[in-house]
Amino acid sequence: MPMAIRVEGLVRGYGRGKKRIEVLQDYSMRVERGEIYGLLGPSGCGKTTMLKVILGRLRPEAGSVAVLGAEVGTTECTVPGSAVGYSPQEIALYEDLTIAETLLFHGRLQQMLPQQIAERQEWLIEFLDLPPAGRQVGKLSGGQKRRTSLAVALLHQPELLLLDEPTVGVDPELRYRIWQHLREIADAGTTVIITTHYIDEASQADCVGLMRDGVLLAEGRPQELMVQYGHTSLEETFLHLCRRSNVKEVE
Amino acid sequence: MNLGRVRAIAARKFASLKRDHRTFAFIIIMPAIQILLFGIAIGQPPVGLGVALIGNEATDIDDDLMIKLGASESLIIHDEYTSAEEARSAIGEGELWAAIVVSDNGVIEVHLDNSNQQVSSTIMVEVRNALTEIMEEKGITPPVEIADPVYGDKEPAFINFLAPGIITLVCFMFSLILTTMSFVGERYDGTLDRVFAAGTQPSEVLIGHMIAFTSILIGQVSTVILIAVYGFDIPLNGNPLMVFVLAMLLGWSAMCIGMFISTKATSEFQAIQLNMPFMFLVLLISGILWPVEALPGWLQPISWSLPTTWTAEAFRSIMIRGWGFEQTVVAGAFVYNIVFAAIMLMVAAKSLKTQD
Repeated sequence: MPMAIRVEGLVRGYGRGKKRIEVLQDYSMRVERGEIYGLLGPSGCGKTTMLKVILGRLRPEAGSVAVLGAEVGTTECTVPGSAVGYSPQEIALYEDLTIAETLLFHGRLQQMLPQQIAERQEWLIEFLDLPPAGRQVGKLSGGQKRRTSLAVALLHQPELLLLDEPTVGVDPELRYRIWQHLREIADAGTTVIITTHYIDEASQADCVGLMRDGVLLAEGRPQELMVQYGHTSLEETFLHLCRRSNVKEVE
Repeated sequence: MNLGRVRAIAARKFASLKRDHRTFAFIIIMPAIQILLFGIAIGQPPVGLGVALIGNEATDIDDDLMIKLGASESLIIHDEYTSAEEARSAIGEGELWAAIVVSDNGVIEVHLDNSNQQVSSTIMVEVRNALTEIMEEKGITPPVEIADPVYGDKEPAFINFLAPGIITLVCFMFSLILTTMSFVGERYDGTLDRVFAAGTQPSEVLIGHMIAFTSILIGQVSTVILIAVYGFDIPLNGNPLMVFVLAMLLGWSAMCIGMFISTKATSEFQAIQLNMPFMFLVLLISGILWPVEALPGWLQPISWSLPTTWTAEAFRSIMIRGWGFEQTVVAGAFVYNIVFAAIMLMVAAKSLKTQD
């Protein structure tokens, strides 16, 4: 299976000299095509910075980052572009637009035809249980906004989905449906990277990565990780890994 | 450059602007109010200035002066004072602005409260006009005669100098205010990240915004010019279309500065503060309140680097002198605004691209 994302020895921080803040230090990660990759990590661990590097928004300071078979920042790279669907951690919607206008705007940015946008809109509203398309985004509830934000990322059916905490504030029934849908599109070849706080949610992923302070502590299939460290749950495994990394830091 | 994406961004921004009724009203009505207030408050001669006239029985000038000056709307003539000393102390108490004293040998002395240049100059113009008329009636030719001016009126009105500058200032200021906060929010709420993830170029974002803002700019510029020219009778001897187009170009220059500020500011509050240096530079060194020729040498290049300096000069030339493109001052202003806007747009695009 070819790699969807291959990050090796990535270094990225902000500022220079005394003001320098290191965010990612020698970060490596591998995501296969057509898999769901669950990235677990607390706020401020560098998840968003890493996603922005993959999106070509931030340049890596060292290391190599290849996305969908091409180095980021090269002309061959299809990301950023219509190959990727991105749902930022912030809701990232224009509050004054209606749901329909929001989808129309993003559809146009992706060069979709009006007909295609209309078809996808109908399906997404049904699937994500969204209010009528004429409703203004600013007047939606938190959960509805979160789902509209997800709808934007799914709109143009990209090969690669980067979802930064898409299930915060979404009810369990709908979260189950979202995961079911992600599974379906992953089976059809879409690669999904999903960041989350919920460990039980991450255990449904094909591969999980635990991120802490800008490094990936462990990466692998949930079952294999549990066996490797001799625990019966993913939660215990991660607790174990966190403790071990604390000990290393002290030494 | 992908036109589909530019169109999408312009349409989205326009929908947002249209929905924000308060901002929309503010941004159209404020320039109109500003130019209305300017026309009403600035440039009209002051009225009701108290002036003492102290005659002299040895001459017959005082009766004529009384009639001529008494007819002036600006002055209220007091004849109850009998000596120059008495009148001067009344000026000292703030009861009068001036005293006109006719001496034994027919020389006319003017004693002034010279604390307000506009008031003094109004009084002096009235006195000079009255004396010129009296001399003409007596068949005496005045030693200096002002011929018909090549450009402008025989009595140069300050408002005619000021009006093109104020139009420049208002067009610049509101275009800047309109755009200066464009992406301050979007840079931090993730919406811009999403737009970039779709492969959109920074220049496409900027040009999309410019197109949406231009719809408002047309309204602003038209209102300001129509009120100034047709509401206050400010001369427009040249081509009105040229004034309109130049005002639009200036608006675009301001827009590009505004968008640049917007890519740098870390909060909306900071964006407003970053506007201030531009506003003050434009107000003070662009030849809007006082001629550029009066600036010290080292300040001249800074003044001429501002698009407003070129525009104010060109507006004056088009509106008062009636000049067209054949004059460098006019053509230069068009070219400079286009070049300035293009360079500023590139700088803003670069700034929007590099996030850290």
